[in-house]
Amino acid sequence: MLSIELLYFVVMVGIFAVCCFKFKLPVGIAMAISAISGCLVAGFGVPIRHLIEGAFNYLNTILVIATAMIFMKVVQYNGMMDTITRWLIEKYYSKPALLIVGLSFIVVFPGMITGSSTAAVLTAGVLVSPVLIYMGLPKEITAAVVAMAAVFGEAAPPVNVNALIIGGGIDLPYIGFTLPLLVLTVPLIIATSLFLSRKYLKVFNFEKIKDNLPDSYLADFGIRLFLPTIVLVVFMVREAFLPKLFPTLGMPVYFLLAAIVGIFSGKKFNFLKISQEAVHDALPVLGILMGVGMFIQVMTLTGVRGYIVINCLSLPPYLLYLGIALSIPLFGAVSAYGSASVLGVPFALALLESNPVITVAALSQLAALGDLMPPTALAGIFAAQIVGEKNYFKVLKYCVLPAIVTAVWSIVIMIFANALAKILL
Amino acid sequence: MKKNEKIAIFLLIFAAFVIVAAGLEFVDQWKPDLIIPGPSVTRTARLSDYFPKLKGEYCDTTIYFLESGEPGGTVMVLGGTHPNEPSSLLSAVLLIENAVVTQGRIIVIPQANLSGFSHNDPQEASPRKIHFETAGGGVRVFRYGSRATNPIHQWPDPDIYINQFGQSLSGSETRNLNRGYPGDPEGNYTEQICYGIMEVIRQEASDLSIDLHEASPEYPVINAIVAHERAIDLASIAVLDLQMEDLDYSLEISPPSFRGLTHREWGDYSDTLAILMETANASQGRIRGKTDEALVLTGKDKMYVKAAELGRLYVPYDENGHPIEERVGRHLTATKMLVENMNMLWPEQAVVYHGVPDYYELMEQGYGNYLLPSL
Repeated sequence: MLSIELLYFVVMVGIFAVCCFKFKLPVGIAMAISAISGCLVAGFGVPIRHLIEGAFNYLNTILVIATAMIFMKVVQYNGMMDTITRWLIEKYYSKPALLIVGLSFIVVFPGMITGSSTAAVLTAGVLVSPVLIYMGLPKEITAAVVAMAAVFGEAAPPVNVNALIIGGGIDLPYIGFTLPLLVLTVPLIIATSLFLSRKYLKVFNFEKIKDNLPDSYLADFGIRLFLPTIVLVVFMVREAFLPKLFPTLGMPVYFLLAAIVGIFSGKKFNFLKISQEAVHDALPVLGILMGVGMFIQVMTLTGVRGYIVINCLSLPPYLLYLGIALSIPLFGAVSAYGSASVLGVPFALALLESNPVITVAALSQLAALGDLMPPTALAGIFAAQIVGEKNYFKVLKYCVLPAIVTAVWSIVIMIFANALAKILL
Repeated sequence: MKKNEKIAIFLLIFAAFVIVAAGLEFVDQWKPDLIIPGPSVTRTARLSDYFPKLKGEYCDTTIYFLESGEPGGTVMVLGGTHPNEPSSLLSAVLLIENAVVTQGRIIVIPQANLSGFSHNDPQEASPRKIHFETAGGGVRVFRYGSRATNPIHQWPDPDIYINQFGQSLSGSETRNLNRGYPGDPEGNYTEQICYGIMEVIRQEASDLSIDLHEASPEYPVINAIVAHERAIDLASIAVLDLQMEDLDYSLEISPPSFRGLTHREWGDYSDTLAILMETANASQGRIRGKTDEALVLTGKDKMYVKAAELGRLYVPYDENGHPIEERVGRHLTATKMLVENMNMLWPEQAVVYHGVPDYYELMEQGYGNYLLPSL
C-alpha cells in the first residue's frame, strides 16, 4: 500500500543512514536528526515537546543500564569475577558440555527474574564470560552465547515483560504462561549453547592453562566477596516474590546499592573512578535509546507507525506467520518492548482464534529476539562490551542462525497453539 | 578558550533552551480544566473528604453532587479513569453542566485519575489539549492525558505489578486506575485513589455506579457494556432498549478471574450495581495514522478504514470515523437507559433527570453547543 507515510519513513531512514554512514555521527544523534527530519517533512515543524517526551520513555532503562554498568565494574574490580572463574574451571573442566549449558542457565536466571536481557548480560553475563573464554571459546562466540542466553532469559518465566505488555493490551491475565514459556525457551537454551560452542566441547587441557587462571580471593575475603551479587539477587527475588514486603525502589537503586556494598566486599578500588568509567562506556547506548525514543514518537505522530502495523496486518493468511516472524524481531531494532506493544498486540488480536496464552507466549519470544537487532541490539552490544569486542556485529553474526531457529520454533508453537494448549494448560 | 570548550558551552546553552522550552509545555499540562457547575449541582467535595490521606495530593479530584432534594436513589458516574479516553471526561462534563435532577441524586467524578491528566504517554504522540467552540462563540479547552498516573506522582514502576489478588501484570499497570481496585489505604498512590473512590461508593451508598471508557477499534470489547453479575439483568434490558434506538451494544459479564477492574471490584466490595461502558476511540489504537487533535475529535483515520476492510476491527469503520459527538452520545444515552431501567426495576431508588443531550441531539448540534460558556 503506497502512502504519504511511506515517504516520511523513507526520508527518516535515509537521513539516518546518511548521518550514520556518510557523516559518521553517533547512532543516537543520527536517530534524533532523522526524527526531526520526519517532523519537518510531515509538516510538524520541530516539536520539542514530542522529541523530549519520546526520549523520556527510556528514562528507567537508561538508569538501569548506567547503574548495572557500575555494578559490573565493581564485581570485576573487587575480585569476585576472577574467583568464580577459577572455581568453575577447576571444578568442572572435565565436563565442558555440562559446564557450558550450566553457564547459559546462569545467564538466563537474571533475565527470568527481571524480564530484561540487558540485566542478564550485565550481571550473570559478566560472571560467566571469562569462564567461557578460558574454556577456549573466542570472545565473539562467548558474547553470542551470553547474548542468546540473555534473550531466552528475557522470555523465560516467571517474569516475561513482553508477554505482560501484549497480555495487557488484550486484557489477558498473566496466568498459565509458565509451561508454554518453558517449552519455548528451555530446549533452545540447551541447543543454542551447545551449537555455538560445539567446536570447543573437547575436554580442554587443564594443566596447560592452570597457571594462567585468574587468582582466587576466596581465602582473603571469604563469602564477603559475593556480597554485591547476593544483595542484588535478594532485591530482585524480593521484588518478584514478596512485592509487599517494602515499597519498590526500582532496579537502578538495587544495582547501585549492590555496587556500593561491593566497596567493602573484596579488593580495594576507587568507586568514583570506576563509576565514571562505567557511565562513560554506557553513554553511546544511552544516546541510542534517547534517539530511538524520539524516532518512535515521531513515527507515531506522523502515522508511520500505523502504516507499518496496517501493512503487517494486510498480509494474506499464508504470509501472516512469516510477517510476524520477520516484523516483530525487526521492529526490535527500535525497541523490543516497543515491538511487543506496537506489533505484538495487534497480532495477538488478529490471532484470537488460537489459544491466546500460547500465542502471546510465542509472540513474546519473538519480541525478545528484537534485542539482537541493530542499531539498538542491547543484548548484542552489551555482550560484546563485556568481552571487550568493539564491533558488536561480529557477535551478532553468530546469533543469526540461533535467532532464525528461535523464530521458527516460536511460529511452529503459534501454529499448533490450540493443540498445545490441550497438553500444556 | 579552546575549541572544545566553546562547543561544550554552546551545547550547554542549547540544552538549557530545550529544557526550558519542553519544561514550559509539560508544566502547562498540570493546569486544571474548567468544569462549570450546572443547574443541579448543589455542592462539590474532594476525594480526600472520603479518604483524608489524599489531602494536598495532586490526585485529590473534585466530586460533583447533583441533588434534587427529593427522596430517591443515587447514581455515580465516573469519567477520566483513563485520561486518554476523552469521551469519558466529556460525557461527565455534559452531565455536570446540563443535567436537571428531579428525583434522587447523581454523583459525578469527571476526572477520576486527575494525575493522569497532567501528562501524556511517551511515544503515543498524543495532543495535549482538545478544543470546542461553545454556542456563544467562546472556546472551552480540556486536557487529553495519559492512560496512567503521572510518574512524577508515583515512581518507579516495579518490573511486574502483582495486584492485590496476587495476579501479575506489566509493571506500568501499577499506575493504571482500572487495575488497582478495590484499592488499598496503605498501597501505592494509584491504589490509594482506588480506595478513595471505593469509599465514595460505600459512604454515599451508590445504587448504580457507571465507569465510562473508550477502547481502540481493534479491541474486542467495544461499543459494549460490561456488567457485574448483580447488574447483568439491568444491563440486558438497557442493551435491548438501546437497540430500539438503533444503538448496537454488546453485553459482557464481568469475568471473575480478571481482578482489579471497576466492573468486578465495585460489585464485589460494595452493594452498588457496577457497570463499565466502552466506545470506539481511534486515537488510542495501535493501527492509527497521523496522531493529532482532529483524530481525537473526528475519529477519521485511513489506517482504520483499511483495517476494517481487512476484517481486523470489532466496530464498523468508514471515512466518517467515529466523532466525539457519537461517542459521548452513546455514553449519555446508555447512561439514561440504565438509570430509567433501574427506576423501573427498583422504583424506591429512582433517579430522574433531564436536560442532558442524547446521541441524536449531539450528532446534530455538536458537542460544544452543550457546554456552558466560560466567563
